[in-house]
Amino acid sequence: MELFVTLNIVLPWIIALIIFVAKKDIITNSLTFVTLPLLGVTAYFAYIQATPVLIETPKWVDVLMVVYDFGLLGYFFYQGIIKKSFLVTILATLQIAFLIIVMLVIEHSSTANLYVDNITTMFYLIVAIIGVPIAIFATKYMEYDEKDKHKFVAIVIWFLGVMNFAVSVNNIEWFFALFETTTLASFVMIGFRKDKEATNNAVLALWMNQIGGVAILMALLILIKVNGVYHFTDLLKNPTAISLAALGFLSLSALVKGAQLPFHKWLLGAMVAPTPVSAILHSATMVKIAPYLILRISPIIKGTLLAKLLIITTGYVFVVAAVIALTQDNFKKILAYSTISLLGLMMLSAAVATPIAITAALVLIIFHAFAKGFLFVEAGVLEKVFHTKYIQDMRRLIEKAPLTLMFIFFGFLNMTFVPFGTFIGKWMMIEEVSNFLSHGSYILLVLYVGAGSAFLSILYMKVLGVSVRKSHGISKVNFVKLPFRFNFVSVWYYLWLLAITIFIAPFITDFILPIVNSISSTPEIYRDGLSLHMYDSILPFWQISGALGLLLLIHALPYFIHFKADVTHPYNCGETFPKHMGTWSFDCLAKYEGHFIAFSIALFIMVVVLGGGLL
Amino acid sequence: MIGILFTIFAPIIGGFVYGFERIIKARMQSRVGPPLLQPFYDFFKLMDKRALMIHSLHALMGIMYFISEWFAFGVLILGHDLLIAVFFHVIAVLALVIGASSVRSPYSVLGGLRELMHMISYEPLMVLMVIAFYVVTGSFNIENILHFDGYPILQLPLVFIAFVLTIPMLLQKSPFDIAEAHQELIGGPEIEYSGPFYEALYTGKWIEYLYVFTFVFLFAGSHYIVGAFLVIGVFLFINLLDNSTARLDFRRMVKFAWALLIPMAALNVILLAL
Repeated sequence: MELFVTLNIVLPWIIALIIFVAKKDIITNSLTFVTLPLLGVTAYFAYIQATPVLIETPKWVDVLMVVYDFGLLGYFFYQGIIKKSFLVTILATLQIAFLIIVMLVIEHSSTANLYVDNITTMFYLIVAIIGVPIAIFATKYMEYDEKDKHKFVAIVIWFLGVMNFAVSVNNIEWFFALFETTTLASFVMIGFRKDKEATNNAVLALWMNQIGGVAILMALLILIKVNGVYHFTDLLKNPTAISLAALGFLSLSALVKGAQLPFHKWLLGAMVAPTPVSAILHSATMVKIAPYLILRISPIIKGTLLAKLLIITTGYVFVVAAVIALTQDNFKKILAYSTISLLGLMMLSAAVATPIAITAALVLIIFHAFAKGFLFVEAGVLEKVFHTKYIQDMRRLIEKAPLTLMFIFFGFLNMTFVPFGTFIGKWMMIEEVSNFLSHGSYILLVLYVGAGSAFLSILYMKVLGVSVRKSHGISKVNFVKLPFRFNFVSVWYYLWLLAITIFIAPFITDFILPIVNSISSTPEIYRDGLSLHMYDSILPFWQISGALGLLLLIHALPYFIHFKADVTHPYNCGETFPKHMGTWSFDCLAKYEGHFIAFSIALFIMVVVLGGGLL
Repeated sequence: MIGILFTIFAPIIGGFVYGFERIIKARMQSRVGPPLLQPFYDFFKLMDKRALMIHSLHALMGIMYFISEWFAFGVLILGHDLLIAVFFHVIAVLALVIGASSVRSPYSVLGGLRELMHMISYEPLMVLMVIAFYVVTGSFNIENILHFDGYPILQLPLVFIAFVLTIPMLLQKSPFDIAEAHQELIGGPEIEYSGPFYEALYTGKWIEYLYVFTFVFLFAGSHYIVGAFLVIGVFLFINLLDNSTARLDFRRMVKFAWALLIPMAALNVILLAL
């Protein structure tokens, strides 16, 4: 097991280094392709090993980690100075001070520093299957008038290694180091184009994420002071005694990393970077640390006031981010807001923490990773091949970019409709929570889920509505030949999503349930053939396949079906046709954005102050 | 068995319901109205017409709307889980909206967008209603609700009222016939369909009647006669409302749903769950 864990963590770092040093097209391109099976196999072998495993690390790694921590914070401090960002500097200073205090009070613990359980191996698989194709995509993407292709691909692959490391650590101090490493990676990637906007947004991401770092250090200090433990496994051993304040701060760092309102601006800012950056931040890495962290502490916070406040806050974000997304006109921004929204749903499920809620959270994590990776890859194709960034440019995409639109359509379907994973997650949450509606926070939750999913549905339909608008006749559909690497990645995601959706019942019972078991008890989910049962509710296979069939027909059939009917102009009441037809901008909602954010700040403070029991 | 028959003959039963509705409506306006079989006469006439379309995508979406609506009804009747049936209905809306948006006609596009506003109004409420059924009967399964001994309506009066007031949004009845809005949008999503393709859309609407009134029927639990009276009563009420009110702005509809109906239903659920 040690071998595979080490391989999963170290391999991406080595490959990234080779690519970075070699700077040769052939090496970059072939090596990223090789990484896919390589990481896939190591992740798979890690997955089939017996878990959970605690892995001891040599003493020098510990020392190295501390040195690295200070080096990293020193670098942030330096960046704060040269970028003239007061916030970055002050937060870096604060972290250095806290870290010194931690170093002074920390006691040696005999608990191993690496802890690999089923969640960890699940993230290895996510990184290998969803993360690596984005690197492959990046190798082609960066050939379209961008600079420093090799450096960029190297950073993307290195980021995957960092993510693998971050989900394997047990020691919260190490977790802090890796948390801040992902911050560093996002800082470098967002600022990659080095223009003014990119630099500004990178600095924004840096200071916002550093707040998460400060929160982790506070949590660490409180844990050491109050409980004398600082490993995740030690926390779980004696869940009732753990200081809620520490958990409150850990949740705070998760909310920041998960770009929940009001800290959502950094994830939106990531949009100025090359599109693979968004793809990697939104799908397999970075933001997924947020639900991961909540999942790790979910057995401890289950049923506490903190959990209920987290539910209220994240559920609020789920709805409000979807509402704000309606008012946006930039395709990547819409995707970013829908990520923020769905991250809220994931954390909400993780905070409910009953076995079925955890199942729902895991299903959401996996499906969201696939679908968002997919959608951002398509956004990149739109940007580079079709020069389309805004919704109003997406008009008649069905004629210009039929294949890409079909993929986007499929990605959108994955985000809301029956029988795709996101729907399964929502279905599970609603039915699970219906059992304990007597608590105020849970009735709110039901409202949140119902409203949020309706808003997300109309958001996707609005975007699709613009893209399918056509002039008369269908003969003009123009199949543009796309580069092989783009098609490879798109088809890769498409097939995975399709396969998992068809076999959703075995996927949940055979893959997800063992993971749930490592966090809590076994949920009452089982399967009968390809039908999914939960309590006494059933999602029969005929419904899964029926819905899938209908949606596949709706999204793909227009390209293949040509009715032999006479074609005419739209009747349009005999009036002249308008030259341009857009869509609703929902300006009436945009003016409330400030109120929404103000309210989210209040909720945020409530989570830390009330949930953490600081009063 | 009855469920399967119901599903298979849904378009025909829906046709009768629609024909009946036209008579009721006419009588309310002191007219004689068309014969009961008028929808079927229309069907034969429309099928006989020369097939004209804007483009295949648009025509196809009309047909997919019909199929999705039928399938959603099947899931509701034959299926096991009400919540899934509610989400299946969204697929039909998707087909309708995609079709409506795909043509270069402001009437149709605007209708499609307004259809989304309809969805934002009724969708959360339907989810709440399903949860309310669960709180009362302890099951999401339609079979169990149909064998429930009590009268769910007695425990869910507010949910029932809220749902009845939502039906105009679902069935495009005044005062909430905003997406179709015959006098201003000339049918909205329907305007550009003709001949057999229009017939598909039209039949889809009949099935939607059955879909909606099945939910009304459930409010009586295992007392089917009471359920039938409920359905007839609500049917008459909706037509009365349709005949006696003027169309509202879509903002009013959304506000009405979110400020009154959803809190009302939520209150009922909370009081029950306490």
